[in-house]
Amino acid sequence: MRRVTPDTIAVVDLAVCDRCGLCLPLCPPEAIHLELNVLTVDSAGCTGCEKCVRPCPVGALAMVAYA
Amino acid sequence: MPDVDVLVVGAGPAGAVAAWQARLAAPALEVVLLERDRAVGSPVRCAEGVGDAGLREFVNPDGADWVSRRITDVIFQAPDDTEVVLANCGLGWILDRTRFDAYLAAEAAAAGVQVLVGAEATGMSRNGDGRWHVRVKERGKDELYRARIVIGADGVETMVGRWAGLDTRVPARDMESCAQYVLQGIDINPDAIYLQFSNAIAPGGYAWIFPKAVGVANVGLGLVALKTDGRNARQYLDSWVARRFPSAARTSYTVGGVIVHTTIKKTYADGVLVAGDAAHMLNPLSGGGITNAMKAGRLAGRTAADAICAGDTGERRLAAYHKAWMELLGEDHLKYYRIKQALEGVDDASFNKLAHTVNNIAPDKRTIGRVFTHALIRHPQLIPVAARFFV
Repeated sequence: MRRVTPDTIAVVDLAVCDRCGLCLPLCPPEAIHLELNVLTVDSAGCTGCEKCVRPCPVGALAMVAYA
Repeated sequence: MPDVDVLVVGAGPAGAVAAWQARLAAPALEVVLLERDRAVGSPVRCAEGVGDAGLREFVNPDGADWVSRRITDVIFQAPDDTEVVLANCGLGWILDRTRFDAYLAAEAAAAGVQVLVGAEATGMSRNGDGRWHVRVKERGKDELYRARIVIGADGVETMVGRWAGLDTRVPARDMESCAQYVLQGIDINPDAIYLQFSNAIAPGGYAWIFPKAVGVANVGLGLVALKTDGRNARQYLDSWVARRFPSAARTSYTVGGVIVHTTIKKTYADGVLVAGDAAHMLNPLSGGGITNAMKAGRLAGRTAADAICAGDTGERRLAAYHKAWMELLGEDHLKYYRIKQALEGVDDASFNKLAHTVNNIAPDKRTIGRVFTHALIRHPQLIPVAARFFV
């Protein structure tokens, strides 16, 4: 459980995502999951560190304001 | 509830060989090999290149239908496109992974392994009975498998490792983001692999052309995202392909991550072994992982079979797998990783200079040994760049 609510969190554009799984081991809190061919970012687990965003080979991940 | 001895998650080279070798070591064991996708070997997320010697430890590539192309030459390309040709410098193969992975799975099946496609492990827990209970989603319904040993061969995103409490995370600087097209109608030497080094083309990595047939090749690149100008791997690849092969037909594309790190600190837990990409068992210089995965799979399969036959699947016994891997290749990967770090400061001008001076060596005298010696004298920091593809 994260202690501080981040200003932004990562979201995935499933229309762009290729399900390659590259972002999973990059996520320090292990908040990204790939199950039944769908990638999800757990908004409650994401700490907003952005480490998954630039490495995505197709640019499917982006940061958005955490409401 | 199916009760099995060894449950292997992932039917790539690591998993298929692990399952196969477990059955060979102990034919009485019940071994199940799970593949998440609908077909073993597909989608291909690989440049498909492999050295001859490592491959032959397991299978015979001569005349095999899972081979696309026999490779004898390596062409290094400097950032300014200067080519350094190393003719007949060793034997390698470009595989057809869709057929190759299926072939390995068939070998496993012939040894008595049950292969299940479209079967995805979605979670697992350790129960009081000393078994792992693994949830498997197959054709829309959940099945619970009880297994004495689970082998996680589930690739870069490994969930088995996470579920077993192993640390499989990767720092961003050690993850190469890769994109690749299959290009048709290109004018290349079909007996050579091409490797181009340039911080402008593939920062922190390299670009490759691996021929699959005359005029057809896997054309791709891997880069370290932290070193880019903000574009992603596919955008870098589009720029390179547009310049090099403007009229080629792009008939397929793939993307993926290659972990250029070293073996995870702990590849085992009670009743669990992790092998291949899932345990970061790649050559961190080349990013090559196929034969590494097969060798790890062989160790994992045999270790699992022995442990079950001995009635002890605890982590103290399974630690022998980690030790054997580290002695076989893991320690070498630590060395390559240090070389990779040392190379990170090399700029494009130095690569160009090296290519120009190496070409002063007559082509018929341009053996790997002479190129190494030359590089050692002129640009000592560059030797491993050439060496990385032959180790």
